[in-house]
Amino acid sequence: MKFSIVIYAAPYSSEAASSALRFARSVIDQGHELYRLFFFGDGVHNASQLTVVAQDENNLQQQWNDLIEEHSIDSVICVSSALRRGVLNQTEADRHDLGTASAYTSSEVAGLGQLVDAAIHSDRLVNFG
Amino acid sequence: MTCLHTISKSPDTQLLESCLKIIASGDAILFIEDGSYYANSARKLEAIDKTCKIYGLREDMLARAILTRAADSVELIDTARFVKLCCDHDKIVSWF
Amino acid sequence: MTENSKPQKSRITFISRAAPYGQNKANLCLDMALASAVFEQDVNYIFFGDGVYQILKGQDGSAIESKTLGNALETLELYGIEKIYADRQSLEERDISEPELLSGMQIVDSDSIAKMIESSDTVFNL
Repeated sequence: MKFSIVIYAAPYSSEAASSALRFARSVIDQGHELYRLFFFGDGVHNASQLTVVAQDENNLQQQWNDLIEEHSIDSVICVSSALRRGVLNQTEADRHDLGTASAYTSSEVAGLGQLVDAAIHSDRLVNFG
Repeated sequence: MTCLHTISKSPDTQLLESCLKIIASGDAILFIEDGSYYANSARKLEAIDKTCKIYGLREDMLARAILTRAADSVELIDTARFVKLCCDHDKIVSWF
Repeated sequence: MTENSKPQKSRITFISRAAPYGQNKANLCLDMALASAVFEQDVNYIFFGDGVYQILKGQDGSAIESKTLGNALETLELYGIEKIYADRQSLEERDISEPELLSGMQIVDSDSIAKMIESSDTVFNL
């Protein structure tokens, strides 16, 4: 079955992002297709690569990145949410003259059309917020 | 055509009560994250229509030391089963 | 245009349950619905619970240096979203009467909302 997952929550502030990650892993483990991850609102912070966590703590952003890369998942961070929260890829950083890219390159920065597309083309869309 | 409703915030938010206003018979409810605490309250669960199955996410309840306190009406499931439940229902309505 | 020419049309229901200004859920929900309308999906938009505070007339976000959400909601119809509903019980519980609401809202009972959910392909609820 084709799943898409929408993540509205920042990591660490609530359990939602980590629930979503566990759910995403389980979707893949069971052989389903993960059509798209869509990070929206505060959820875009999950794609930030400029993070440091204590050694005995999970780095959620890194774990998302590992999962996305390992399984070549189509992952999108919402452009309007991301820009105002400082989660930028190199293209956006250059365009706005901000120098540093802060987003993992494993996620694409794109618009809400990608969410609508996920809603249309997935058998199941699950929200975590 | 049934829905799986996930409830992920504490009973203080009244999410279950909101959900019950628009739930359809045959739908299912899954408590996750802080929503797990609903599973601890048999009295609140009595308001759920008998045609609606009630599930609690085991991992979240284990973390919160409420696994053994779950009401009899709650079936405890793991994340893998959560994914299966999503397949068994036509859509998922998340309450957060 | 007929339904047949758009096989990629799905019915998406948005349940907007958050009051405006205090948090951004109302805005996120609206943005998703407008995007769905741009991509010509069949959209239901429902104000439920504290979400009905979004449709009170007379909002002035400028008082807190915010955009006025009420104005943005009036754009729903411009984007072709015509199925806009408010839950009767949510209004009653908050002592809000119909003349206090923005125009274009259909007031419906929770039974109708349950049916809309049932007939939808996807539901966003926030």
